[in-house]
Amino acid sequence: MLKWVAQLAFLAFLIAVVVIVGRVVASNLSNRGINFGWQWLSDPPGFSIREGIDTTPDSGARALLVGIVNMLRVTVAGIIFATIIGTVIGIARLSNNWIVNKIGTAYIETIRNIPLLVQIFFWQALMLSLKTFGEEDVGSYFTHSSVKGIALPGIFPSDGFWQWMVFVVIGLVAARYVFRWRSRLMEETGNESYALTSAIGTVLVFAALGWFLHPLFGWMSAIWGALEGLARGIPAPLYSWAIALAIVAGAAWWIRGFFEARKTPAGYGKFTDDDIFRVAFAALSGLVIAGFVIWLSSRVVQVPSGGSLEGDVTIAELIRLGAGNFWNFFENKFHGSAGSPFAFELPSIELRGAGFAQYGSESIVITVPFFAVFVGVTVYTAAFIAEVVRAGILAVPRGQTEAASAIGLKRSQYLRLIILPQAFRIILPPMGNQYLNLAKNTSLGTAVAYAEVVAVGFTLSNQTGQSLPIVLTWMVFYLTVSLSISAVVNYYNRKLALVER
Amino acid sequence: MAVSDKDIIVCEGVKKWFGDFQALKGVTTTVKEGEVVVIIGPSGSGKSTFIRCINRLEQHQEGVIVVDGVEMTNDVRNIEKIRSEVGMVFQQFNLFPHLTVLDNITLAPLWVRKRTKTDAQERGMQLLNRVGIPEQAEKYPGQLSGGQQQRVAIARALAMEPRIMLFDEPTSALDPEMIKEVLDAMKELARSGMTMIVVTHEMGFAREVADRVLFFDYGTIVEEGTPEHFFTNPQHDRTKLFLSQIL
Amino acid sequence: MSDDTFVVHTEEAELPPEPPPHGPMVWARTNLFSSVTNTILSVVFGGITLLFFWNMVGFIIGEDRRWDAVTANMRLLMVQAYPQEQSVRIWLSLAIILVLAMATLAVWGAGTRLSRYAVGTTLMTAGAFLSFLSLIATLHLVLDSRTAVWGLGGLVVGLVLAGVGYQMRQGEESKVPQIPSLMVTAVALAVPIAAFWVIQVPTPILGGGQELAPVALSTKLPLTILYLIAVVSYLVADRTIGEQERFRGPLVALWVLSFPVIVMVILRDPIIPYDLVTSTYLPIGAAFAIVGAVVMWFVADPTKKEAGLGVGALIFVLFLLSWAISVVMVVRILLLMGALFALSAPTFAGEQRARLRYAGVWFVSVVLVTYFVVLVVAESSIRSESGSFLGGLMLTFPLAIAGMALSFPLGVLLALGRTSTMPIFRLLSTAYIEVVRGVPLITWLLVAFVLLPFFLPPGVGIQGVVRAIFAVAFFSAAYLAENIRGGLQSIGKGQYEAAKALGMTTVQMTVFITLPQALRAVIPALVGQVIALFKDTSLVTIVGLFDFLHIARAVIPNQSQPFNFIGVLREPLLFAALVYWIITFSMSRASLRLERKLGLGER
Ligand SMILES: Nc1ncnc2c1ncn2[C@@H]1O[C@H](COP(=O)(O)OP(=O)(O)OP(=O)(O)O)[C@@H](O)[C@H]1O
Ligand SMILES: [Mg+2]
Repeated sequence: MLKWVAQLAFLAFLIAVVVIVGRVVASNLSNRGINFGWQWLSDPPGFSIREGIDTTPDSGARALLVGIVNMLRVTVAGIIFATIIGTVIGIARLSNNWIVNKIGTAYIETIRNIPLLVQIFFWQALMLSLKTFGEEDVGSYFTHSSVKGIALPGIFPSDGFWQWMVFVVIGLVAARYVFRWRSRLMEETGNESYALTSAIGTVLVFAALGWFLHPLFGWMSAIWGALEGLARGIPAPLYSWAIALAIVAGAAWWIRGFFEARKTPAGYGKFTDDDIFRVAFAALSGLVIAGFVIWLSSRVVQVPSGGSLEGDVTIAELIRLGAGNFWNFFENKFHGSAGSPFAFELPSIELRGAGFAQYGSESIVITVPFFAVFVGVTVYTAAFIAEVVRAGILAVPRGQTEAASAIGLKRSQYLRLIILPQAFRIILPPMGNQYLNLAKNTSLGTAVAYAEVVAVGFTLSNQTGQSLPIVLTWMVFYLTVSLSISAVVNYYNRKLALVER
Repeated sequence: MAVSDKDIIVCEGVKKWFGDFQALKGVTTTVKEGEVVVIIGPSGSGKSTFIRCINRLEQHQEGVIVVDGVEMTNDVRNIEKIRSEVGMVFQQFNLFPHLTVLDNITLAPLWVRKRTKTDAQERGMQLLNRVGIPEQAEKYPGQLSGGQQQRVAIARALAMEPRIMLFDEPTSALDPEMIKEVLDAMKELARSGMTMIVVTHEMGFAREVADRVLFFDYGTIVEEGTPEHFFTNPQHDRTKLFLSQIL
Repeated sequence: MSDDTFVVHTEEAELPPEPPPHGPMVWARTNLFSSVTNTILSVVFGGITLLFFWNMVGFIIGEDRRWDAVTANMRLLMVQAYPQEQSVRIWLSLAIILVLAMATLAVWGAGTRLSRYAVGTTLMTAGAFLSFLSLIATLHLVLDSRTAVWGLGGLVVGLVLAGVGYQMRQGEESKVPQIPSLMVTAVALAVPIAAFWVIQVPTPILGGGQELAPVALSTKLPLTILYLIAVVSYLVADRTIGEQERFRGPLVALWVLSFPVIVMVILRDPIIPYDLVTSTYLPIGAAFAIVGAVVMWFVADPTKKEAGLGVGALIFVLFLLSWAISVVMVVRILLLMGALFALSAPTFAGEQRARLRYAGVWFVSVVLVTYFVVLVVAESSIRSESGSFLGGLMLTFPLAIAGMALSFPLGVLLALGRTSTMPIFRLLSTAYIEVVRGVPLITWLLVAFVLLPFFLPPGVGIQGVVRAIFAVAFFSAAYLAENIRGGLQSIGKGQYEAAKALGMTTVQMTVFITLPQALRAVIPALVGQVIALFKDTSLVTIVGLFDFLHIARAVIPNQSQPFNFIGVLREPLLFAALVYWIITFSMSRASLRLERKLGLGER
């Protein structure tokens, strides 16, 4: 009893503090004549962005989207490379070759003990010490590096890309079957059946066929068109109700799982206060969030003219518009007669205006900020991943290696069949943590003017003065990323744990 | 139980150091095909180290070890050849926890001997029958008792059809009531004519099945002989002391 | 085998052990060329390593390197714009810290003994590495047709060191631990100190160019004196209070006090407003101290269990009411403190002695808090352009220390909340921890710098440094909480049951049994968090504080007066990286030592 009094009293105290602070904020705002709202999302942001999917966004939301995509770009690239480098270094630290071992140790001890920001600045400084170029350098190169970045030969999806992708997808599905078939064959005959090679071969065959045959899929345009019509035809409120329903269903599913877990052959045990609180909290928050979604989606926002919607529209209508545009995208990408799926470009330096040399707009340029952030977070996280990998492998008892080699498995075989499957379970949770850290650390890109979410948001907030909503947007975004990564990690963790028992 | 005249393991002045510590100080002995050799000796005397050198889980630094005509060198092919000829059973079982019992057994036949899956599984079930636990095939090692786990380990080693079996204190991690089931499996194996080297403190086992007993102390063979001589009339002071403590 | 084979191999009880195969060839064979793959790896990576060091040394001693930008700005990097004529305050602070540190080492008996062999190995490695680098440097210089005296000197010194190390490793008894580790450290530290008097560093010349010049006397003299102070104070402390447990408590108290005293009194040099003190703070403080002490003595009586709670609740209401009227801040702070003291009285309640001690603790706390408030209210006599008397490395350290000090109690509370059986507390703690950890630190810093003004009542402003401290502390607390939670969950059930059996309340159990054990169990993780926090302080450069990194990467490359360092970026950054590395690396090494020492004591 006393416990509940204490808790509720504390909660009341907290709410009181929030209310008081809220009033202070409100009076501060009115004193300074600031009005916080979400108008900036649709207003033109009034600045251009140095790199990204859209360098001259027409709305604040679009600008933020550019930042988000930029952030995800570094994150994904960073995760891939950091995992590779980290694993290699982690294994190097276990090597019995003295030089390799010491290189691994030196890498980890150097990189881990220098703040990431210093390292990012250092990579930036390194790039900035490269030469510049001018009029006399105009021409085409294979690769080119300068203070403006590193230009690489580029491969672009071209006209026929999406139709070609249909072939690739079919190839992937076929490869799955081929792989199963060949694996079964190997189990039955005991002979090497090259399962993986044949699967990869299948994909390649389909990709090669698609290279020439992809115009055949032009007719799919009609399907996408029909889907688009369907998406645009559904009444807008239905979208918000569907989302709300999904949320309620999620909460219900969680509660069901909770009861399942408590179920014993003898029926349910006694529920503690705590259990009741959890269920009630889950149910309540499900309903509240669902209600919030419905409320939010009926709000009216102003959309700048130029698009298919103008003036005052509800958010539900915007969602419907997005769904329609999604299918429309595919509809437009499919043509009966299309060129090759890819276009190749060598980097070039060309003149823009009088005496102003620039990399050609078709060149793929790794900009200085991108380079600094990408190399920075990759190198930094790799050091931590190396430790994770090393610890994971060391955590597999020595006896496992000994037993595996005693029954005659080769090093490569026992690594693959015995050590890695066991190490992987140990490695997974801390690895997920490192991925999370990497994703959050990309925000340091702000310091070198890399246009990711925080940098774009900060500029927006300077331009519009809407600091509070922008900070909220950041938080929602990062929490979404964090929760997604931990959800994936938890999913695999549970799946792997099931394998053992 | 026929012991042939063919030498299958020959050790000549084997020396081994861990850092500055010398664990083996020149071990010389020969094992004939079909022979059952029991190694006893106080803790830390180098018994494990010695039998682990025989299938190169440890590398000796000086001396010669020849197993079935193949000399132990750093040559990877030699090591692989020897390891598929020599089975080993560990004190701590060392089963693979993420694989079922049957998968544990069929792993090496599939990947090293390139058997077909059905073939390997059939043979795996035979071996499980032989060690008396066919009903556990689909369980995971964590779900078995210690004695059952050790019998799976024996079956796993046998699945490679080795010509030599090494046992490193296979019963010392077991509860007393489980020791018998493992020893029975080992006795059955000895009777079938397998060459075996067994490190153990089970003197009953040594008396019953050993052809020869080696007594290790301070990294050397101090004394060796038939079980009768060994237990009735030990010569060396160290041996007498050890036996008086253990019997 | 025939039945009567019977062999006795040796007559002696024990063969004498032989030395293992030794020597460089054996070493190389086992560590570098044990197989074909290994040989290939050694050659390839040996080549890569060589290439790396060749280029690195070439870069460092390159003709157009501007290391003079670092040496000329050393003062800026360390203390930013702290007035030069007041620098004795900084040296004094360092001396206090050193004396305390040496006393701590002595009282805890921190030193161990090292074997000659181990020291010799380190010397050999260091010497070999030094001569290797010097050799490369010499080659570079010779190829550049510049003088190579320094490079050759390094080569010789390195070889001598390696030789000495090799000699030390010889002999049977070389493996006996006999050399005090602190002595080794002292000798090792003496080397850079001595080097300051010998070496010459790149120094800019007015009007362009640089030359090699000796280190300024204003740097090397105080450093040498500090070194001597450290050595002498350790020797004195070791003789007088060495390894005496009763000095541990006072030393910890001195450490806790030293930080506010150094920052707020010595460095900040406050101008105490004496009229205000006599008219307001002295009476208020005295009243709270005396009346409060009586109250605390009264409630710390185990028979009056509910009295503490009642009085605490009453004072808390008073505290809330105090916001409705206008009083000086110190009253509110003291009221809040009083509420907390009264509420926790039952936990510390006991016999007459315990009650008197509790009242005494209250009295001292009030005096200290009041004094501290006076210090905060007082103006600083130190003026500097950036608006703060802290800057450079002298901002980085206080940031880290204050951030840690604040985040620690918060982290403990959050960890207790998250493991508590009370759902609302658990929910709130979990939400706090997850939200704070889910969002990067830089956004919290921006919140503190951009949003905070909206949350404060008009007229209340908070300095940038303080904001940064709060942001860092709130952020770090969430991570600390997770570490501590790990410790709390590792405590066996038996501990709880034993405590319950002794009739302890939940709070007493937490304070006296579980928390100390949990904290002890997670010391390595906590040190890891300290290191992370220290590295994280570098982020304040993004919000424009003049910390160490900010000076290295934003101030120096923009200097044109009196020397022109425009665009000199890599050298100061490399220097910053080196300094950060030395600090964090030593911290992580120290934590390893601590871990091993604790592990030894336990098992
Ligand atoms: N990997 C190793 N590193 C260092 N020393 C080792 C290692 N393995 C074994 N030793 C040492 O070598 C000596 C012999 O060890 P070994 O395991 O062969 O003894 P044992 O006769 O099997 O003893 P037990 O009956 O206890 O198993 C011991 O003193 C041991 O401490
Ligand atoms: Mg052993």
